[in-house]
Amino acid sequence: MLKSFYEQMKKLSEEEFQRRPRAWPMFGAQLASIMLKAFEEDAKVVWTTYYSFPMELLAAFDVAPFDFEVACNLPPGLDPSGCADIMAKAEAKGYSIDLCSFHRLALGCYFLDYLPKADLLLTTSYFCDGKTKTNQIFAQYYDKEAIMLDVPNELSKESVAYVSGQLQTIARKLEEVSGHKLDLDRLQECIKTSNRARAVYGRLAEIGKVKPFPWDGSRVCLLSIIGNMFSGTLFQEQLYQKIIDECQQRMAEGKTLPEEFRMLWMAWFPSLPTNINEILRANKVSIVMAELARVYWDEIDENHPFEGMALRCLKNPYVGPIEQRLNGVLQLVDEYAVDGVIHFSSTACRHANASFRLIEDALAKRNIPFLILDGDMSDMRAYSAEKTRSFLETFIEVMAVRK
Amino acid sequence: MKDAQLQIGWLCSFVPEEIIMAAGFLPMRLSGDLEGISIADAYIYPNLCPYIKSILALGLNGKAKRLDGLVFARSCDGMRRMYDVWRSYIDTRFVYMLEVPKNRDDAAVKYFATQLRRFASALQQEFGAGITPASLNQAIKTANQIRMLMRRIYELQRSIPLPLSGSEVFQLGLEGIQTDKKSFIAKLKRCHSDARSLMEPHQKEGKARVLISGNVMDRPALFYLIEAAGADVVAADLCTAMRYFEHPVDEGSDDPYLALARRYLSNLRCARMTGLNERLAEVKELIKAYTVDGIVYTSVKFCDQHLYDVPYFMEKLQEEGIPALFLENDYTWGNIGQLKTRVEAFVEILDSRRR
Repeated sequence: MLKSFYEQMKKLSEEEFQRRPRAWPMFGAQLASIMLKAFEEDAKVVWTTYYSFPMELLAAFDVAPFDFEVACNLPPGLDPSGCADIMAKAEAKGYSIDLCSFHRLALGCYFLDYLPKADLLLTTSYFCDGKTKTNQIFAQYYDKEAIMLDVPNELSKESVAYVSGQLQTIARKLEEVSGHKLDLDRLQECIKTSNRARAVYGRLAEIGKVKPFPWDGSRVCLLSIIGNMFSGTLFQEQLYQKIIDECQQRMAEGKTLPEEFRMLWMAWFPSLPTNINEILRANKVSIVMAELARVYWDEIDENHPFEGMALRCLKNPYVGPIEQRLNGVLQLVDEYAVDGVIHFSSTACRHANASFRLIEDALAKRNIPFLILDGDMSDMRAYSAEKTRSFLETFIEVMAVRK
Repeated sequence: MKDAQLQIGWLCSFVPEEIIMAAGFLPMRLSGDLEGISIADAYIYPNLCPYIKSILALGLNGKAKRLDGLVFARSCDGMRRMYDVWRSYIDTRFVYMLEVPKNRDDAAVKYFATQLRRFASALQQEFGAGITPASLNQAIKTANQIRMLMRRIYELQRSIPLPLSGSEVFQLGLEGIQTDKKSFIAKLKRCHSDARSLMEPHQKEGKARVLISGNVMDRPALFYLIEAAGADVVAADLCTAMRYFEHPVDEGSDDPYLALARRYLSNLRCARMTGLNERLAEVKELIKAYTVDGIVYTSVKFCDQHLYDVPYFMEKLQEEGIPALFLENDYTWGNIGQLKTRVEAFVEILDSRRR
């Protein structure tokens, strides 16, 4: 099912790109190609976490990076009911419904033999405990090694040394799996490519400050999570540039949507088909920025690549004390002149949801309305369209009053 | 009235009490506020584990005022976020987050040792306490003595029948975690001597022998339930029981912080650590050492560290022919009545297998 989903996605994206050579089908085709690479018989498949692992390191090796969270949780957008049935397979094996739907779906895919092989399983200790646990469980099922990049909560020379040392150990492991030595020149080239993409991404993020917003906010959210899968590759820079070009063209042609309210989106955006975009558009609300779309990291020092990649991990807003996340959010609130903030709280996402009160209080001091929108990213059984409508419409009224 | 000795609370078995003791303070593991827990929902997301919410409730309800400080550990996502909430909404003089690696190789041990030194410095800076090599070594000796005495009691529990009930041993351990160490040492010595005198001279047929494995437990409700159903709890693999008392710290080390780091990261059976199969292997060793007939695996609700492991654990235990029962709990054990039938049925299965 998973392989055929990405075969279909690749085919449709390529056909769409032939008709209209736009950024989004280009993105879809590339994403599907990476997923399909993991299903090739001779591929060296390294499971990872696209949105938190320093992908520049993997780009320096001849391996197929595969993230079970991302791979398994795009299909609910097309077939939510079928995916709920897959999750039920994991639940029948004893995986509690209180666990994250992303992981239940991936485990269900495993039990139905939908996943590619794994030669090595990497992940990071952040964003969440659930991902590291699922990674370890998969390592047992596949009888392969799981390595967790342990990223402490504090930034110091000791923590940089600790994380960069682990990355060097992982590089040696990747040498074994890929069958070739780490080429430092290639790694430096990947870092330079990533730094260039970072600069372009910074320009793309600036577009969110334009009124009315000339792009699609749900895509900002998706890209802020998945875009990192291309780090270290030329494609990433090309994709971001193409999106910028299209936004500028839209602005020049006056083809932007009407905008009355500007919104910052926090945490995740559901991969389920939902009524969120429909409600926001009907009320002239633009999602102009996503919490995770902020350029929080510095350029990676190509001469000290391991330390540079370690720093990028340590500066992630979901690492460290809450100020690391909160200050970033407040910076975005100011810079993007938003009228409100929505935190999408997927049921089991404890690390993201836990701090709601601190966020709420910090935003209240700036008189910014804040909504916790409860739902689920990929389990249709835990998502209510009517509840979402009711919450969103009430919130929009609050924004109108405050404005 | 407040005691003269400063009290430093802690929340996770990865916090080395030795450093707190070396500073001359009284370390105390906190138990949650069971009655006023609902207040926590206004400050932290409701589907976090009830242990975290009950601890937060303790602070929010003004029941942690006796504490001069509180030490958190990076044990899980929930604990990290509770640390943020606590220092934002609860007035405690010293609130500290101890960085604890999840790996346990040499690099992790070395890094953890730097964090332990930093913790000691922070205590000294805040309270002006002097932690000297001599005071730290003495604290290590005291903690090791408790570990040794408690281990001797645990070892008595290998005999058939048991000299002490599982619930008695569990409560004894809890006392050691939550009270003054010196008086506890004296009590442990008495208990060991009493327990030895209660031992049967010859091995006899005993009851079904149960191992409880899981995370945090601050009251013996499950022990009572199993014992009332006719079985013995011979060992408790919990962070408030055996895991707290295992593995002495190397007293001969030139670097006591490194020795502490090595000891605390060897706590393999905590589900937060990497190494699922190593953890399972250690649980199997306990099963063998204590002649266990069946295992009751329990976790507080919403504890991702444990809940993810449950299906794999249960499957592996069943493959080895070890009967296992999983019970989710709400930390307060207010749902104990609902668990009664399941526990009784499980003990019945164990009894039938022994016949």
